[in-house]
Amino acid sequence: MLQIEHLCKSFGGVAATRDVSLGFPAGSLTAIIGPNGAGKTTFFNLVSGHLRPDSGRVVFEGRDVVGLSSLEIARRGMARAFQVASLFPSLTAREAMIAAVTAHQRRSWSLLRRFPLDGSRAKAEELLELLGLAGKADVMSSSLSHGDQKLLDIGLALAMEPKVLLLDEPTAGMGPDERWRMIEKVHHLWQAKRLTMIFIEHDMDIVFKYAQVVQVLKYGAVLAQGTPEEIRRNQEVIDAYLGTDHHLALAEEA
Amino acid sequence: MRAGLMRDLLVAMLGLLLLLALPMVFPQPSLRDFLIYVIAYGLLAMSLNLLVGLTGLVSFGHAAYFASGAYVFGLLMQSGAVSIPLAMLAAVGGTALLALVIGAICVRLKEIYFSFITLAFQMFIHSIILTWVDLTGGDQGLRGGIPRPPFLGIDLGEAHTLYAFAAVIFVLCLLVMRQVWQSPFGYTLRMIRDNPARANFLGVNVVRMKLGIFVLAGAMASMAGIIMALFVSGAFPEFGFWTTSGEAIFMIMLGGTQVFLGPVAGAFLLQLLNHYVTIYTHHHGLVLGVVILLIVLGLRRGVADFAAAWLAERRATVPPAPATPEPVKTKAAG
Amino acid sequence: MNLDVLASCFATASCAVTQVSTGLIVGMLLFLVASGLSLIFGVLGVINFAHGAFYMLGAYFAFLCFEQTGSFLAALVAGAAGAGIIGVLFERFFMSKVYGRDLLMQLLVCYAAILIFDDLVKILFGAEYKLMGMPESFATAPVEIAGGFIPGYYIFMLGMSLGIGLLLWLGINRTRLGKVIRALAINPQMVGALGINTTLLYAGVFGLGCMLAGTAGALAAPVRSLTPGMGLSVLIESFIVTVIGGMGSIPGALAAALLIGLTRAFGAIGFPLFVDGLMFALMGLVLVLRPSGLFGARAT
Repeated sequence: MLQIEHLCKSFGGVAATRDVSLGFPAGSLTAIIGPNGAGKTTFFNLVSGHLRPDSGRVVFEGRDVVGLSSLEIARRGMARAFQVASLFPSLTAREAMIAAVTAHQRRSWSLLRRFPLDGSRAKAEELLELLGLAGKADVMSSSLSHGDQKLLDIGLALAMEPKVLLLDEPTAGMGPDERWRMIEKVHHLWQAKRLTMIFIEHDMDIVFKYAQVVQVLKYGAVLAQGTPEEIRRNQEVIDAYLGTDHHLALAEEA
Repeated sequence: MRAGLMRDLLVAMLGLLLLLALPMVFPQPSLRDFLIYVIAYGLLAMSLNLLVGLTGLVSFGHAAYFASGAYVFGLLMQSGAVSIPLAMLAAVGGTALLALVIGAICVRLKEIYFSFITLAFQMFIHSIILTWVDLTGGDQGLRGGIPRPPFLGIDLGEAHTLYAFAAVIFVLCLLVMRQVWQSPFGYTLRMIRDNPARANFLGVNVVRMKLGIFVLAGAMASMAGIIMALFVSGAFPEFGFWTTSGEAIFMIMLGGTQVFLGPVAGAFLLQLLNHYVTIYTHHHGLVLGVVILLIVLGLRRGVADFAAAWLAERRATVPPAPATPEPVKTKAAG
Repeated sequence: MNLDVLASCFATASCAVTQVSTGLIVGMLLFLVASGLSLIFGVLGVINFAHGAFYMLGAYFAFLCFEQTGSFLAALVAGAAGAGIIGVLFERFFMSKVYGRDLLMQLLVCYAAILIFDDLVKILFGAEYKLMGMPESFATAPVEIAGGFIPGYYIFMLGMSLGIGLLLWLGINRTRLGKVIRALAINPQMVGALGINTTLLYAGVFGLGCMLAGTAGALAAPVRSLTPGMGLSVLIESFIVTVIGGMGSIPGALAAALLIGLTRAFGAIGFPLFVDGLMFALMGLVLVLRPSGLFGARAT
């Protein structure tokens, strides 16, 4: 589905991404972990077309998408949600979802009919239901709780009917309970939509519980990759990243 | 959806009836003249609000299209070659073309540059009007009056008929703008206003959408200019002067940008103010300036927005308050 | 349109010298106004739409002072200081209240300020044109260069505005205060955290910008007629200058101002009706090809 080959990017001499090669098979659920500054968000920006890599290929469904704009890449079926929810503050959740669906259906220019269009509305309601936002659909986006804003942000990405979804820290800024609720919803989405999903996450418990595959980045390069079991036992990862407090204990247990 | 359209049509009919009935109940010509001013400037302000309130584009040069409508219409009528409806169509079409050319340059710019450049282009149009004396009459305005030959049995030379005609055009334009507000196009413009980067990423062609509404707003402003030209039987460079744009901005601020008919209310309030100020003093600019400062710094928002927020607050305190809102960050950068 | 005249002017040294000198002083006045506008935008992030009013105020203050004292130097100082002080007051009491708020509100505050200043000038000085007249110290024979005559005052104006421009550039790029101001433009919180009074600094920068406009107005007073509303065309032209030169760039403002000044001077004899059109065409071209201006930060 998505194949990254020898991706490199540096900012003024500082290498943010060094020769990263990764594969994401269709329908997989992959977590990307790594200490702060490991280049995780940069990696997403490179893959989604927000940044242009210095070298390397991003092969999406058999085609190299490097050089395409972020919009073109999104239209081909690779969408992303942002670390800080990027919403439309003065629209309600429902209006925002419908408008996003309308945009994806290329009916934004429709002037002679009233908002919402039937087709767009049905699709948006379905997504709101899936996200568990149906009950809050008439709340202004700016008044939604932090977690619901992150969900709506994911919902806007889903409006583009992606095959691959990149989630940049879906649980950022949440308390422990809220994190688990959020990741359960994300997991549910992955199952319901049969997506290829890649998410950045800091909470190791979450990563080990939900991810099929874990990729560890450090200083912009791939440090290790494998199943949660393998990563847990990987001595390099333990030294570099997990080597503190209870994660060490976890590793020993395993 | 259909219900929404029906309701708007009904409101429009009632509004039109009210507008037509007013001069019958109060037959003073001065009231009729006052209302025509409110209609023309209200339409100008409404068209500007398509940019400011709906799309978040603060144009400081909207009077250019008001003037263009008035001058093109006036010149065509003076040529004697065309009927009123044809001249109106040509004036609207010509202005739309002008807006297309200017808009194509302006809509790519960041917000503050946009205000800046729209103002500059307006002053360019104004200077053309002033310097091309052979065509426009320079600072004297279009001389010799604008002929108003009857068409389809309608004689706009007759003051009552002219008023009714202006009222009908006004309500029709408002209906068109209402449709824009309530269409998928209108909601896409709201996305652009709130968060253009995200809208772009969701597949919206932000630049083309902005250009589309810029042209539409220009065309609507030209209608206002035509009404004005018909009423005063002339066109003057002040139509395209920056103060006219400034007044239009003040009208929408006064009436509020988020309530559909707010700008009309603003136009009404400003005309009322102008009316009384000119009676009592020559220093119109001084008084207007002070009033603007008082409202901007005192009330901090438009009268209609103020009222709407107050109503919403009252409504919100009755049922249990919703969860505490959190600030939304609108950065699209990841 | 009279391109023959234009061509023959280029061919004769005396005409070319006269037009170049006219173009240079028009350009240098624009440069002073535009660099003030650009400075305010660069540091405070707002466009002072009332900037033209400060140019007008500078001219009228100079006029008033010259009438009272007869000293041109005093008039110059009065024009600059008067516009600067009113600029600081305007920033403190009005403009600072709308920082970070809707652009609509900033526009309205400036709009109101222009209306008020124009009307006040009309009340105090009358609506008719005023002439300040040339100070006696400059009533000398014009300097002859290659058959063209340049009034002594023009040379003084050129020197003054070049000097001010240089001082400004040095002040911003070579002094500690300049460094703080540049830092303020990039990261105001950081500057505040260093214990520097940013509120005062903002007012100071705004006042300095207005002072530059006022200086231009005072310098222009002996050679231009004074009228309420005289600031508007200067404002629009300095917009064009900042767009062409690049917002926030002082060398850019200088280059663009001279370009516009010379375009005006030669356009006035070759195609007087199209001078404005040419200026706008230049601006449009720059916006389409290089939206950031020749020297500036990005506008799109």
